[in-house]
Amino acid sequence: MIQLFNVVKNYGGGKPALDDVSLTIEKGEFVFLTGPSGAGKSTILKTLFGWEPFESGQILVQGINVGRLDTRNIHTLRRSMGVIFQDYKLLQNKTVFENVAFALEVTNRDRKTIKFKTWEALKNVGLTPKKDALPAQLSGGEQQRVAIARAMVNAPPIILADEPTGNLDQEISYEILKLFEEMNRNGATIVFATHSQEILRPGKHRVIVLNRGKVVAS
Amino acid sequence: MNSAFQALSMGFRTTVGNVRANKQTFFISVMTIAISIGILGLFLLIFLNLNGFLANWNKHVQMVVYLDNKISVDNKESLEALFKSNLEIQSIEEVSRDQAWQEFKGQQLDKNGLNIDLGFNPLPASYKIRFKDIDDRSSYINEFAKKVRLKPGVESVEYGEKWIARFESFMVFCRVLLLGVGVLLSLGLILIVSNTIRLSIYSRQDEIELMLLIGATPRFVKIPFLLEGMLQGLSGSLLSLGFMGAIYFYLKSEFHSSIEAIASGIDFQFISQPFLLILVGMSVLIGFVASYISTYQYTQIVNKR
Repeated sequence: MIQLFNVVKNYGGGKPALDDVSLTIEKGEFVFLTGPSGAGKSTILKTLFGWEPFESGQILVQGINVGRLDTRNIHTLRRSMGVIFQDYKLLQNKTVFENVAFALEVTNRDRKTIKFKTWEALKNVGLTPKKDALPAQLSGGEQQRVAIARAMVNAPPIILADEPTGNLDQEISYEILKLFEEMNRNGATIVFATHSQEILRPGKHRVIVLNRGKVVAS
Repeated sequence: MNSAFQALSMGFRTTVGNVRANKQTFFISVMTIAISIGILGLFLLIFLNLNGFLANWNKHVQMVVYLDNKISVDNKESLEALFKSNLEIQSIEEVSRDQAWQEFKGQQLDKNGLNIDLGFNPLPASYKIRFKDIDDRSSYINEFAKKVRLKPGVESVEYGEKWIARFESFMVFCRVLLLGVGVLLSLGLILIVSNTIRLSIYSRQDEIELMLLIGATPRFVKIPFLLEGMLQGLSGSLLSLGFMGAIYFYLKSEFHSSIEAIASGIDFQFISQPFLLILVGMSVLIGFVASYISTYQYTQIVNKR
């Protein structure tokens, strides 16, 4: 499902952010990407959804050669993924419902589908009572759940999460993790970047360890 | 079709939101467009009225064919046959030497109080020829004059060609000036509108980035900004032309008699409907091009990071 072959990414500094990275993630797998700050976790995710170009190597996502996509067709790749960020990236002037619906609106879904699917996604993350609230009126955990609802509303086969529990306390982090595991049980492939040892401790899922842009354990 | 309509409808909603969020910038941009289109419209107004004046002048141009005093009867008949065979000639008036002299003497007496008596008649006989209202009248008269000049017994042919040529070259100059001003103003407007749209883009940077991240097409992202640019162009041109129209009708109603006296019977016209449509269309196109440049540059930068 996801394959990286000898990927090199350089931001222009001394050491490359990704140094000859090769890895494979199977369909339906739940994988943690971990490592210290600057290890290359976020960079891998960004290259996977075509947000960062890379110098050499090859990335295949569901058979799509990411390096060959250009601005006109990159959206086809991005529509097959749900991306979740540490800073949530919620639109502050839109309500919870509108934030989630936004992911469907930009893909030109009809109003009826938008309403139905948004409601379903909010139900899955337990946020229907707060559908009319603005992001600023929510806690960190709730905001992250809105971001998760937005990522899952299109039912993408792949979910990429960049430190989704980074700003949350342990209890809420486990709740968020459960949501990802639920999505995984429903068939989604999950790539979850984290540096939290607490999240990794149960050891239920495969862990890829990165350090200074290299895969050191998988 | 449905999805295109939906993208457009969302685009409209976003455009309204953008305008509300950046009212001041939008207003400044619209006013700049209005002033620029106003300047262009003013040039066009002057040009069209001068053109109308030239056309009207052309209508009154008559050709005077002066005859040699010793012209033979055959040559005179041949000349008259040439006039009669020309279907574009409206009327032919023959003026004998005596008639011409009497007219001249009468004019001198009326205007200058001179009673001229030379003891001989220095004026030649002539034909005054008026032409029908045809396309490209002046060049037609010019060609016909060349033929007439070659006829035996013709002393000279006059129809004010020097003045017409000067006026026509002045009109060519006006046309070039209008084009130059139009091009310069258009380029200026493209820069101004593209900067306004750029500000609008930067004010919604987070939203655009998110749109691209979650799979929006570049076209979907661009639509609201393209609509905003076009809206600026439309509002600016309508405002400007509305203002110019109001001034035109005010001047025409308040100073009708003065304009009539200056223009000597020629109707002082407003910009004609096709030109109005061209100005509005051009302004909308400028808005579109300017916003396209800004959005294209932005999506390229964001997608290539």
